[in-house]
Amino acid sequence: MKFPGPLPIRAMFALKLTGRMIVWRIFPLLLIILVNATILRSQQLIDAPAADKQTLQLLLQRIDQLEARVKQLEAAKQQAAPVSLPSATAQSSAPPVSEAEPQADNAVPERMDSSKTLLRMRGFGDITLHGDNQRHDTTSFSLGQLNLFITSDISEKFKFLSEIVFEGGPDNIFGETRGENNTFGVDVERMVVQYSHSDFFKLAVGRYHTAIGYYNTAYHHSTWFQTTTGRPFLFQFEDRGGILPVHTVGASASGLIPSGHLGLHYVAEVGNGRASRSPITEEPVQNVVDDQNHKAFNLALFARPDAVRGLQVGFSAYRDLLAPASLPRIGETIFAAHAVLVRPKFEWLNEILLVRHAPNGIPRVFNTPGFYTQLSKQFGSYRPYFRYQYVNASSTEPIFPDVGLRQGPSFGLRYDASETVAVKLQYDYTALRGQPAVNALALQVGFTF
Amino acid sequence: MPRLAGLLFILASAVFSMAALSLALVPTLGRLPEPQITTEQNLAIVVSLSNPVENLSMAELRRIFLGERSHWPNGRRITLVMMEPGQPERAVVLRDICQMNETDFNNHFLHGVFTGEVLVSPKTLATPVGVRKFVFNVPGAIGYLRVSDLDSSVKAVRVDERGPEDKGYKLHVPPRSSK
Repeated sequence: MKFPGPLPIRAMFALKLTGRMIVWRIFPLLLIILVNATILRSQQLIDAPAADKQTLQLLLQRIDQLEARVKQLEAAKQQAAPVSLPSATAQSSAPPVSEAEPQADNAVPERMDSSKTLLRMRGFGDITLHGDNQRHDTTSFSLGQLNLFITSDISEKFKFLSEIVFEGGPDNIFGETRGENNTFGVDVERMVVQYSHSDFFKLAVGRYHTAIGYYNTAYHHSTWFQTTTGRPFLFQFEDRGGILPVHTVGASASGLIPSGHLGLHYVAEVGNGRASRSPITEEPVQNVVDDQNHKAFNLALFARPDAVRGLQVGFSAYRDLLAPASLPRIGETIFAAHAVLVRPKFEWLNEILLVRHAPNGIPRVFNTPGFYTQLSKQFGSYRPYFRYQYVNASSTEPIFPDVGLRQGPSFGLRYDASETVAVKLQYDYTALRGQPAVNALALQVGFTF
Repeated sequence: MPRLAGLLFILASAVFSMAALSLALVPTLGRLPEPQITTEQNLAIVVSLSNPVENLSMAELRRIFLGERSHWPNGRRITLVMMEPGQPERAVVLRDICQMNETDFNNHFLHGVFTGEVLVSPKTLATPVGVRKFVFNVPGAIGYLRVSDLDSSVKAVRVDERGPEDKGYKLHVPPRSSK
């Protein structure tokens, strides 16, 4: 293919002259066209209100027609079906209510709206990469607890709440690893029906977390809520080697105590308590059958004074009678006290406990003290934290001889990657009695969905 | 000379065009939908007319808006009504009553429901009309409205013994932005 060559100079000069003439003759014409176009555009804009008015009128007519149609449909619906009263409650995630929709009064609050699904569900989960210097331990990725948290407003006064947790083994009870390493089991960790009479009296029955101290009822089965990668050892779950009756099956009354700005609250609980850990059982929580008629009692009092926002101070006393095999019955008393300051950007938790075991007919009493302190502060999406924990059980302790002395600090950093995902990196140093200290590192992703 | 004449013609055309355009814009500016509210308004805390409560302290309001109080003194359950995130009224309530930002507020309710201490999360509504209708219809409801959005269908409670029309009232909301 041939491309045309350059034009001769003369021809180019002739074209240039012609171009100038065209510019000076045609340019005014172009300008006149531009001005006319501008004037026409202006005219259109001036006429726009008239057109808008017309459109507006049409739209208003259309709205009137639609409103009439909605009224007609509502009337037909009311004739077709009996009136049902939806609960006047909703979650923040629910879509906004249509303003045209009249809201239901709670005049007949105990009726259930069978046409609506009552369950609301939220999920929590975590995945952890962890390793330590203990013999036989391997660095592993671990699926944590997959928690399906379900609530339901049964009526204005009754509410249902449960945590159904899927978790991997093995369990660690009484210092022994039980169960298969990589199998998953299902636990109903909480299942509570709550009656709410007023702020001064609420009654819950079912399986719940005992109100011993603060942590146990503030953080349940979700690592996402917790600042750290896991619970303090004192509040570890029973099937993970924990020493407290974290769960119980029974009844719990709670509410406000009229105390003005002091903000006093009470919790009174009665339940099956915990199996005695001797002999080892697969499920320490006595879900269906208590091993004796004696019931466990717990009484807690705490204050949330108005003067210091986020402060909670309280104590609790728990009493049970354990029936270990081949041992006399043992009276168990747990005293707990706490002082915590929890604000959105700052957290300082302090708890101290004493677990007291008194075997019947034996003059000796076994005391197991423990405490932890935890401090954290939020800087943007980052939250560095520190925790020191201590628990000291006698080697001759009849109920948990495996616990011994455990103490040491933990340091970590939580990073909120989004509103629902937290990444945590934590280092733990744990000194043990008669054994080498344990250094552990964990990287965890906790989330809610 | 012809160049100068051309230049003058161009300038005159430009001036003429600008004048025509500005004339066309005048009616558009004149068609603003509503007069602008340029000063701050008070934010009223509203309850149902059947609610006997007349006054709430700021501390009580905080407890109510954080779900720490779930019942009125007459035993009826409190239903909290919030406007959608991003609304200036909601921002005032979060800042002055709850003393939290949006994320902290959401986490607070999520945690409260999780522990069982909070019975229900707030109801979220889009507009003041919706809030007014909801509070009118639900005897245990509590919400908030600009004073200009109040009418006789709801009751504005006093906050720390001051009504929303009183001097020294604590809750103020910035003027509505025009759209």
